[in-house]
Amino acid sequence: MSPSPAALLRPMLRLAKHALVLALVGIMLLPVFYMVLMSFRHGQDIVNHPLALPEHWSLSNYANAYEKMSYLRSILNSLGITLAVTLAVSFVGALAAYPLARSTGVLTQTIVSILSLCLATPSFVTITPIYTIFARIGLLDSYLGIILAFTALNLPLSVFFYTSFMRAIPKELEEAAELDGCSPFSTFRHIILPLLGPATATLSLFVMLMVWNDFVYPLLLLTDSSKYTVMMSVYHFVGNHNLNPEELFPASVLGSLPLLILFLIFQRQIVNGITAGAVK
Amino acid sequence: MSRQLQRTAFVLPALVMLAVFFLYPLFEAVRLSFTDSSGLGDYQYVGFDNYIRILTRSRYYESFGVTLAFVAIVVVCQTLMGLAFATALHAMPAIRNICRTALFMPAMMSFIIVGYVWSFILSPFSGGLNALLDLVGLGALKTEWLGTPTLALVLVALVHVWMFTGYTCAIFLAGFANIPPEIEEAAVLDGAGGWKRFLLIQLPLLAPSFTVNIMLSTIGTMKTFELPFIMTKGGPDGATQTIGLLIVQTLFTDYRFGLASALSVVLLLVVLAVAFVQNRVLRQREDLI
Repeated sequence: MSPSPAALLRPMLRLAKHALVLALVGIMLLPVFYMVLMSFRHGQDIVNHPLALPEHWSLSNYANAYEKMSYLRSILNSLGITLAVTLAVSFVGALAAYPLARSTGVLTQTIVSILSLCLATPSFVTITPIYTIFARIGLLDSYLGIILAFTALNLPLSVFFYTSFMRAIPKELEEAAELDGCSPFSTFRHIILPLLGPATATLSLFVMLMVWNDFVYPLLLLTDSSKYTVMMSVYHFVGNHNLNPEELFPASVLGSLPLLILFLIFQRQIVNGITAGAVK
Repeated sequence: MSRQLQRTAFVLPALVMLAVFFLYPLFEAVRLSFTDSSGLGDYQYVGFDNYIRILTRSRYYESFGVTLAFVAIVVVCQTLMGLAFATALHAMPAIRNICRTALFMPAMMSFIIVGYVWSFILSPFSGGLNALLDLVGLGALKTEWLGTPTLALVLVALVHVWMFTGYTCAIFLAGFANIPPEIEEAAVLDGAGGWKRFLLIQLPLLAPSFTVNIMLSTIGTMKTFELPFIMTKGGPDGATQTIGLLIVQTLFTDYRFGLASALSVVLLLVVLAVAFVQNRVLRQREDLI
């Protein structure tokens, strides 16, 4: 007995639906492919044939961008700043979250309100007073200054993040440690801190995204080009007038590549971490 | 010292940092908003002059209007597109993960780079969009995309939507994953079709994801200035001058610190009010369901 037409139609319809969704997702990614393809082409070729594929896969655009952006140097700057900010913000944040996670008193509520206020404050509101303070104490144009500023910027998020994470840790663990005569700090150090690995990994993603992509803070706080983060190098190389495709596209690819590669390797952890962070 | 007090002391390092980097700057912003400060040098207290200026000049209302339109376009389009993709992908486990990852990619790029790439795509001469329209025989639609006031605002907002649709989709997918499978199975057994299941079961149970998505995209876009800064510099004719961009320009182009501070204070109050009301309304809606 041959299957009825309806039974044949159903899997085909399913296949068509899958193909449609894949095509739509492909269309969403077109600008990314466009960026990569254009990065190999000469400016004149793009003007003559805006949508053609690269005529030749020459790396000369990249060689030029790589050198003029001081690419390696700016990558190392971004990485170093990310690492330092992650360490600082996870320590200070976890420390503050520890008492907050276990109490609901007036003090806790006050601190939570302050944190929410900080979270809602746009960074261009606070940047000028920070600039003035830094100018007064000599932290302008220093790694320490930008690290402190980024740490503070990420701190409210970090405290909220660790607080909700620590609420899930059984209270009995701490109580046992306290009965054994641990001080609050050594309980934190030996019981709580070792459990924070997964939360810290997720937090470091947020920090990395911000350090990598933010440009308000570095634009004002860093003037020495040898201290530029990646995005600063891209911005200073490409500029904001008369965009030149031979500079714009290779710089954009170089600027996004490290995070995109990292993302493709750790995509499951990153998407889960960021959505979990948002949902909590 | 009691244990409780010792533990409370753990908050101190964080409080000191917040005081230096948020509370003091906020206090300074409020103080400067009552002055005619222009960055360096002396300044005078001018009372409510800056606020009166903001309340009486149409320029500032227009900028708030632009911001409102930007937020509305982003919140509506991003939520709908994220929901559409998530609903489709929820029913397609075979391609769910790869599509979720692909859609998320633009959120990993910076505003600067996204702004650059789209500026070029939309540029009237060698830009990709006009060339694409020519290619498919729709050359008549070619235009100066970012040079037309209304179009420019819509397009800059849509670029923002493009960037974060994957983020919204991922949050909705997490929401779908939280719907107990028994409920959906029961609906299937009761003969509820795809649309009926979506409207009567999935949509109500996604309420918490709606709350998170709408609040994140609203608060994120109310202070936005990056894409207009790169793509249009607020033009043409102020059509894309969001309040965030206006503050940045007042601050770093005109050096009118007093006025910029007053604008910041107003923006912050609006953000807080909107966040408060939204939180109330959306949470109530969750409770009703």
